[in-house]
Amino acid sequence: MTRYMPQAVRKTGLILFPAFDWCITPDHPEREERLLYTRDQIVEEGLEDVDGIEFFNPELAAYADIDRVHLCAPSSKALLTESHLISAGGAVRAAKAVMEKEVERAFAIVRPPGHHAMQTVFGDRGFCVANIEAVMVEYLRRHYGVRRIAIVDTDCHHGDGTQDIFYNDPDLLFISLHQDGRTLYPGTGFQNEAGGPAAQGYTINLPLPPGTGEEGFSMVTDRVVLPLLDAFKPELVLNSAGQDNHYSDPLTNMNFTAQGYARLNKAINPDICVLEGGYSIEGALPYTNLGIILAMAGLDTGNVREPDYDPQRFVQSALMNGQIEGICQNALEIFAARKKWDTSVCRGEEAVERKSIYYDTTGFGVDQVRHYKLCPDCPGYTEVEASGAGELLHGFTVPFNACSRCQQAARDAFTRAAKAKGSREQVVLQDRVADIYETA
Amino acid sequence: MKTVGIDVGGTNADGVLLEGERLLAKAKIPVDHDNLSGVIIALLEKLLGDSAGEVDQVHLSSTLCTNAIVNGEMDEVGMLVQAGPGLNPEFLDCGENLVFLDGAIDHRGGLIQSPPVAVVDAALADFSAKGLQSIGVVTKFSHRNPQVEQELARKAASFPHVTCGHNLSGLPNFPRRVYTTWINAGLKTRFQQFSEAIHAGVKRLGITAPLSVLKADGGTIPLERAEAVPCESVLSGPSASVMGALALTPREKDFVVLDIGGTTTDIGLFADGVPLMEPYGVTIMGRPTLIRALNTRSVGLGGDSEVKRTADGYVIGPQRHGVPAAFSEGKITGATPSDAMVVLNRMEGNRERATEALHLLLPNNPPEETAREVLLTFGHNIKLAVDQMVEEVFARPVYTVSALLDRQRLEPAEIIAVGGPAEALRGELAAAFDLPCEVPLNYEVANAIGAARTRPTLSASLYANSSDGTLSIPEIGLHEKIGRSFDMKDAEERLAAAIRHLAAQAGLEGELPPVEFVEREEMNTVRGFSATGKVIALKAQVQPGLANV
Repeated sequence: MTRYMPQAVRKTGLILFPAFDWCITPDHPEREERLLYTRDQIVEEGLEDVDGIEFFNPELAAYADIDRVHLCAPSSKALLTESHLISAGGAVRAAKAVMEKEVERAFAIVRPPGHHAMQTVFGDRGFCVANIEAVMVEYLRRHYGVRRIAIVDTDCHHGDGTQDIFYNDPDLLFISLHQDGRTLYPGTGFQNEAGGPAAQGYTINLPLPPGTGEEGFSMVTDRVVLPLLDAFKPELVLNSAGQDNHYSDPLTNMNFTAQGYARLNKAINPDICVLEGGYSIEGALPYTNLGIILAMAGLDTGNVREPDYDPQRFVQSALMNGQIEGICQNALEIFAARKKWDTSVCRGEEAVERKSIYYDTTGFGVDQVRHYKLCPDCPGYTEVEASGAGELLHGFTVPFNACSRCQQAARDAFTRAAKAKGSREQVVLQDRVADIYETA
Repeated sequence: MKTVGIDVGGTNADGVLLEGERLLAKAKIPVDHDNLSGVIIALLEKLLGDSAGEVDQVHLSSTLCTNAIVNGEMDEVGMLVQAGPGLNPEFLDCGENLVFLDGAIDHRGGLIQSPPVAVVDAALADFSAKGLQSIGVVTKFSHRNPQVEQELARKAASFPHVTCGHNLSGLPNFPRRVYTTWINAGLKTRFQQFSEAIHAGVKRLGITAPLSVLKADGGTIPLERAEAVPCESVLSGPSASVMGALALTPREKDFVVLDIGGTTTDIGLFADGVPLMEPYGVTIMGRPTLIRALNTRSVGLGGDSEVKRTADGYVIGPQRHGVPAAFSEGKITGATPSDAMVVLNRMEGNRERATEALHLLLPNNPPEETAREVLLTFGHNIKLAVDQMVEEVFARPVYTVSALLDRQRLEPAEIIAVGGPAEALRGELAAAFDLPCEVPLNYEVANAIGAARTRPTLSASLYANSSDGTLSIPEIGLHEKIGRSFDMKDAEERLAAAIRHLAAQAGLEGELPPVEFVEREEMNTVRGFSATGKVIALKAQVQPGLANV
């Protein structure tokens, strides 16, 4: 029988949830209209009728799914609206669709995004409150026993939240391609940020010069991303599929295209994509999202072009190519020298990291000290003290891959801290091994 | 008011004459698919006798268009298609005369580039040289901006028939628009001939009443109007049975309608007494379309389905066994649900042969027991199909937080079953669903009654962008400028006027059933960092329902 609609090579799930009734403020880039034209393009293309493309509604993530990842002050219930739970739930639905073999690949086109939300959360920063990929990652580990995961963050802004959450996790390879932090929010993502004491070389930053186009992205993909994925051998590859590297994005200065996004996606071949940023809502998103979907499904992407696309406009200078070659070389060296936790350390030693975190949406700062507790048998637990916006948070986090001694040590430290706590202070134990979130 | 309803099925054509809700007469004749208009006229004659002049209206549900598509008897259509960026359009399969045009309209209806004049002219010259009678023109996003389609239609005006995509539906979905346009244009000649034959026939019989045809969406359309949109009359059979069940047992709750036939069971769903619609339209011969339709599903389970016994139990259908042993002669080659019904004395037939058929199916089981088990399986399988349908309706994509949080699963409170085996299966259906199951009186002519009692349906859709200053109502070909202050109230007024326009165009007289507005979308547009206007989308429809009598 002849086929009257295209047939996907790989069965692909779409969680398309534009949340037309939710915004940060009516004229904020993260507003109701953001995915309107994307939805219109996808529906007009007839993707709902394409054999092998399945549409799913998001579900609501549970607060427990958020608490498995974040330490929220004052609490996840106080900070997250239903819209945040739906966005995180959209990512979780994508993961379930793949793990339950309803589809082979899934793409959560949801909002608001998440990759600027760090381990501690005091409010909205960079349009994000809950890190929806991180919620998905810990959900996958908890419910499906997945261990090794790679996240390739292709948003134009450095994925500082995702980096922060998995900084000390050698079972997670985090690769971020972004516009150089000297020229763009959040001002981080330099190559010396390469991982915590137990995961050196498992965070790989690729800060690209403003103006980078198809050529530059192809270079970092071919020279760094693909070889690193090959070497790391993850069980799942996730793509934080921000689309603000596009030449028409109003918030950034890059030169990427819908054709480029489609090619990038074909190369990385992620199991699950989650939309992050992207604010050229008319000129880019309808085409970049479509390009990514078709690439995931193994369909022809050759006809996905912006109406004003002209490849001649995007030729890169030799100078820029040289610069990007240098960045690739550094990244390869960092990854080659990677090492997990040091088995010679004494229990009780720690590494300390201080951070000032700025919450741009409402405008306040949080000061944070994180103690990485070193362990010869596992990545160790971490203790974090953070204060700002009238809140004082004191948390103990046991990673999913912790040993039982660290698990117990964190419990003991939590009990001691709870006894000694001040009146404003909130003490939290987040034990991902036992899936416990306790506050005192 | 006296109404005639006619339903042309695969084997027989049924007709009823109603006075108000009361059934005055019914008639049945066998169908000759090569002469459907003849069949309809003969049935009218049999039904009405000398009282043809007293009839007030005639409603027909015909298989003409469906058969023409299924049997490949459509006109060759010259298709002009502008796809623009997106999916590679090469998959579109609608005949040998499909010409893709460069250029594009974007998702907001902005004209990026018109199709090249020389290519259009050459294509039309070629179509003309080939003697094509029907032309179809479609662009992507023509529901947002019909200008390119309209321009192409003007250029093709010398052809006897031109169909534009935007006139058929205001819904998005480009591949469906292409297939709908192609089907509509391809049905033109046949439907015209059919309409002329019917007109001549009823004139000869002395019928002066207005004629309407049934649509797949559970509504009617005047026959003259249908000549412009013949595609609307495809797959009207399931809509006749769904509306028939509603006419025989009007209810205001959630319920399921089952039309159980020899080969298949058609399932329809009602929410609060209103039949559910397909989100886009029917799929016919594998081609998805924008032909508005009730949400019905046909499953391969019927009285004549093949019954097999496997390690997991009984397997019924989807193949048809043929005439059941109970109603045939000669060698018994298999069992059917009808045989089980005969064995249990729930249906007339040769009980000895039926018993033998069930004995062959499972030699070591008493045939009565086998019969009961087969019918239980039948009921169970129907329940599974209904559950799946209910789940699919629940899983339809929603796009707002409030819609996601307010979603409710359909909860049927009753089963209405019509069709030949309905009465015999009533107990099993009630047990499978754990719900009351009603088989209404006159269920054997439910489809004809459905055709008779159905009222017209209409729909139109509006897209306004006060930032760009454009308004589009594709069904009436409207595309015009609006001011910055255009709001939802203006949208409702314009759309209500469009529905009145469509009603007048269709020749519908008198008061319209209530118009309801659905699928409201209203969003601020921001360019740079300040508000520039609004995007407003709205649909208006006259829902399928029963005509006042």
